[in-house]
Amino acid sequence: MSRPGFVLEVDDRTPPLVVHEGLGFRMEEFPLGTRVVYPPESLPAIDDVDGAIRDALLNPVDSEPLPELLFSGMRLTIAFDDLSLPLPTMQRPDVRQRVIEAVLTLAAAAGVDDVEIIAANALHRRMNAAELEHIVGERVFRSFYPQGKLYNFDAEDRDALAHLGTTDEGEDVEISKRAAESDLLVYVNLNLVAMDGGHKSVGVGLSSYTSLKHHHTAKTMVHSRSFMDHKASKMHHSAWRMGRLIKDHVKVFQIETTVNNDVFPKPFDFLMKREWEWNLKDQASMLAARRGLAVAPQKLRHKIFHDMRAPYGLTGVNAGEVEAVHERTIAKVHQQQLVEVDGYSDVLVLGVPYLGPYNVNSSMNPILATCMGLGYYFNSYRGHPMVKRGGAVILYHPLNEGFNQLHHPSYVDFYEEVLAETTDPQVIGEKYEKQFAEDPWYRHLYRTSNAYHGVHPFYMWYWAAHAMDHVGDVVWVGGDRKVAKRLGFRAASSLNDALEMVSGSVGTSPSITYLHNPPHILADVKV
Amino acid sequence: MAQAEAQARAQAGGVAARLAGQHVLLTGVTGFVGEALLHLFLTEVPDVRTTVLVRPKGAITGAQRTAKLLGKPIFRQVVEAAGGVEALMAAKVGVLDGDLADVPALPTGIDAVVHCAGDVSFDPPVHEAFTTNVVGTRDLLARVAEVETAQGSPVHYVHVSTAYVAGRRRGHVPEASVEHDVDVAAELAWGLAQKGEVEHRSRTSDKLAELSEAAERTHGRAGMLTASRAAEEARKQWVKDELVRVGTERARSLGWTDCYTFTKALGERVVEAHAAGGRVVSIVRPSIIESALERPYPGWIEGFKMAEPLILAYGRGELPEFPAASDTTIDIVPVDHVVSAIVAVLAHPPAPAEVAYFHVSSGDRNPLTFRVLYEQVRDYFQAHPFAGGPRGTVALPAWKFPGAASVERLLSTSERALKVADYLVDRAPRSARSRSIATGIDKQNARVEFLRRYLTLYQEYAKADLRYSDRRTLALQHSLSPADQAIFTFDTAVVEWAVYLGDIHFPSVTKPVRRLDELRLRREKGRTAGGSELRTVVEGPAAGATPEQGPGESDVVAVFDMDGTLLSSNVVETYLWMRLAELEGTGRLAELARTAARVPGLVRAERKERGALLRAVYREYAGADLAELDAVADELLTAHVLSRLAPEAVRRIREHRRAGHRTVLVTGAVRPLTRPLAPLFDHVEAVDLVTDARGRATGHLVSSPLVGESRAAFLRGYASEHGLDLSRSFAYADSHSDLPLLAEVGNPVAVSPDVALMRHARRHHWTIVDWASPETGRRTLDPAGSAR
Repeated sequence: MSRPGFVLEVDDRTPPLVVHEGLGFRMEEFPLGTRVVYPPESLPAIDDVDGAIRDALLNPVDSEPLPELLFSGMRLTIAFDDLSLPLPTMQRPDVRQRVIEAVLTLAAAAGVDDVEIIAANALHRRMNAAELEHIVGERVFRSFYPQGKLYNFDAEDRDALAHLGTTDEGEDVEISKRAAESDLLVYVNLNLVAMDGGHKSVGVGLSSYTSLKHHHTAKTMVHSRSFMDHKASKMHHSAWRMGRLIKDHVKVFQIETTVNNDVFPKPFDFLMKREWEWNLKDQASMLAARRGLAVAPQKLRHKIFHDMRAPYGLTGVNAGEVEAVHERTIAKVHQQQLVEVDGYSDVLVLGVPYLGPYNVNSSMNPILATCMGLGYYFNSYRGHPMVKRGGAVILYHPLNEGFNQLHHPSYVDFYEEVLAETTDPQVIGEKYEKQFAEDPWYRHLYRTSNAYHGVHPFYMWYWAAHAMDHVGDVVWVGGDRKVAKRLGFRAASSLNDALEMVSGSVGTSPSITYLHNPPHILADVKV
Repeated sequence: MAQAEAQARAQAGGVAARLAGQHVLLTGVTGFVGEALLHLFLTEVPDVRTTVLVRPKGAITGAQRTAKLLGKPIFRQVVEAAGGVEALMAAKVGVLDGDLADVPALPTGIDAVVHCAGDVSFDPPVHEAFTTNVVGTRDLLARVAEVETAQGSPVHYVHVSTAYVAGRRRGHVPEASVEHDVDVAAELAWGLAQKGEVEHRSRTSDKLAELSEAAERTHGRAGMLTASRAAEEARKQWVKDELVRVGTERARSLGWTDCYTFTKALGERVVEAHAAGGRVVSIVRPSIIESALERPYPGWIEGFKMAEPLILAYGRGELPEFPAASDTTIDIVPVDHVVSAIVAVLAHPPAPAEVAYFHVSSGDRNPLTFRVLYEQVRDYFQAHPFAGGPRGTVALPAWKFPGAASVERLLSTSERALKVADYLVDRAPRSARSRSIATGIDKQNARVEFLRRYLTLYQEYAKADLRYSDRRTLALQHSLSPADQAIFTFDTAVVEWAVYLGDIHFPSVTKPVRRLDELRLRREKGRTAGGSELRTVVEGPAAGATPEQGPGESDVVAVFDMDGTLLSSNVVETYLWMRLAELEGTGRLAELARTAARVPGLVRAERKERGALLRAVYREYAGADLAELDAVADELLTAHVLSRLAPEAVRRIREHRRAGHRTVLVTGAVRPLTRPLAPLFDHVEAVDLVTDARGRATGHLVSSPLVGESRAAFLRGYASEHGLDLSRSFAYADSHSDLPLLAEVGNPVAVSPDVALMRHARRHHWTIVDWASPETGRRTLDPAGSAR
């Protein structure tokens, strides 16, 4: 039986604790009294995955069973979450492969032969063939990819988009034409964290900039408290409005899967254990890893970390009507990730790991690191942020990975040209977003190469807008000073220095909360 | 002018009185000594009328040059007293336009001629040395003889020579004619013929072959025209050097240190011959003339003389040793002593046909040894170091005077080491590191070259253990009235070396350097990061939208080279990448091995001529389906190319586009390889593969690959076709072979250049930028392959 998450209060018996920082981790001694939020241990995985999938497809929630929706001569589109999920990439076979295979088996039985499989990558980069193959599996890839029936969504292909109308609040809804004009749209989701899934799957994953620009803004993000709680998130409200409009045009059969917290494969599994419970082997692994990483060149460290494949176990699979399915999914996610935290503190400490949704097989550039820390981790709360208004966030990341020119070309210019001018998300959005979004070169790279859309770095910056608005000081421990300055933050060489630096706003003995992730945590802050 | 009258005046007064009313012709007044002499005349011998022989320089007449000379601060008082430069010239300073190479007729009514024009360089080309020092003197004397005949009165000819005409003698040198039996006429004929002779020799087929071989070795990649241009440059330089070398060799073979002292000695013979005709002649021989002790003001000096470069080099910490013995005398005299002596000599003409020799030197009675000089220099710079850069002041070397041989050893070892280092860095793979090493080598090289030049030049003097007797000069000094002795001081024994050097001479010669240092520091403070001037070209953030339409109205083009400039890869690598993408497993290994085996050949081809390399590589495309090649490029090459693309490069291209400039990609690569970059450019100049009827490549090219000079030719053609202004245009390239392309535009930019291009760019003040490609370029063929 897995133990629930809990909040540890650091006392003099507490050993140094793991803090992730990019391509490595450090053992940090926290001040006495620091609250450390630990995630629940991994839930037990479902043994009979194929059986569970089959069961979900045949007994969906608020929907006819899938076989009843399939008929010969129909136009079937299967869309699936791209490589930004899960993190890290899952060991083979990916659960989406199993779901898609099950759907295809049923479709074949029903005599459906017009099937297209689309990666719902929205403005994310195109996945290359190997990456697609990893998600859908060799069989599906071989049968569909060469015929051009398995492909990345292209949000800039005007001919392949359909404008479905506008919501009550005037938001454009524009999604993949193929999906919109299908008799059935099956969406295969992998719901890693609470922000994923629901109407966000089709409404965001298969939509274009025309749609996205309505809710991907600094203003929306400041009012999404948090975006990990779709009921309190302005962004999700907008996506939900869009989703309901989509539902009027196309039948969506949503399949959502949830996984447990098994993020680190052996020998890095010690990173998921509580430090005081490490046995001799864990201690040895930790030492070996620390020594090894200390001498390894950056390229090698990058390879070591990015070659990790998570041994995720499936905890749930639900299919049927989007909202009903998502409610069950969220319950499962909460069961795995929710930890009750009593009140907020003056300082929030976050270790930014090597990986975020947008640097799979790529590098964690400074903008992504900011998004990961002040975006994803800061927003991993329900109720109230873990830190008080005007408090301080202390992040760990060296900020030294540079940019991947293939994947993040517009990020480089965003960093060099835009951030050099201002770091205010609101101003940045008003002044530069349109330029980047409509730049033909970025568009060309997004469509033909493996580049994130020109506007994507802006979204990363908006992701952090809520945190930037809420807190006073942001300090990066171990961060490159020049880079931190460009981002509008400061860098410190140690936690103690960082605490010293923020003492102006939070005093010399602030209350501290450290969110001990990964694995993923959702802090349920009770005020 | 009545001789008796002058005599009477002379007895009555001093030097000024003896010279009063005389008309003196001066040569070389634009030089250091001449200027001091003119100043002395104008201030202390006011009743003398002078005529100066000045060479017109281009459109500037001799009179204008003289007016400019008199506008200098030292003449201010005199000019003011006379009521302006023009008034002064009308009253006292007549100008005779003319050149020593073609001496004009002198005006009549001349009482004396002071000839202090001459080449001051110690290593002049042989024909020039003979022209100025022998021919010039001979022709001037011919004109003097003419004037004497015309006016019927004698002209006192004062010849300013040098103490070093004594040559490589040792010990005591009397104030007398130099003993030698050199045939002046024969040497003169030989010397004047050398120009033609050496020019002729430089054009022999052997010499030309040697020069062009060397030029092709370094410039061959840029093209034959560039190479031949370089070879011609080298030939001219060789002629220059050779003219110096033959002169020095001949001088040494006859017992002189160099061509300067040799021709000066021959010049004296010409003067002596002139005197033998019953004429009044004095010869003044100063030693090393340095800054003024008192007049016009202490420390006055014009230009850099003999010892200054060495003093400054020492202050910069760049003179590690000196090939002299510590007890050798260095014979220095202040310039005001020299001109005072000249005036005194002028006032005391010898008997006709009896040449009077005067040494103006310090070594005999007030010797300054190298050790004292060294200690003075060292003390001075210790107390007043040059402004250091950001790393503080330099460390001053401590001289041990180990003797000429070991200094020579040190120098030649350094030279050899630098040569080896240069050879290596020239062949090293291009990188920021090899560039910085090359920069270091260049700096060291400049230093060693400087040392070599000056030490070679001076070691003869440093070794010369000569004592120039100045008894006659001293006697002349003592014969003057006490008042005159105070005005016309030339007893060098009065010079206190510590005061003269430390308080007067060193501050004076280091002053301009200090001023430059100050300027440099100020400039450096204001300077931003490298390549900042590029910023001014295009306004606004580069991140803005690129206009989708073609180039605007602008007639500016920005040309970019591809391999190495925009991306960190090369043709071979790209080729391999494409081939490997098509092959599987063992096929890849075989291809890799095959290519590896060919690498030495390819490298050789690359060094020789880039076109040959490209052809060799493209031969491998034989049999490839062109359409498939395009598809492979789109599918696989894009990631390879884009991940190696330097972000600054892309930003730069886009900046040009936004400014409305036309952007052009020039590459020796085949067209399919340029596909990923094509959207950034208005025009892509690449090579097309010849295809057969089935659309398969034959391995041949439609046209020659665009490399070296053909790029420049292409650009010229392109510019005239589209009405572009190349002088305002930009070119970006990384390799020496692109020199002709870069030279074609007004704004050439060397991007992470190879060593040869870096050197060229430095010399010509081109912008050098470093566009680094991302380090984490993906090296594997299948980025997700490890996931399997």
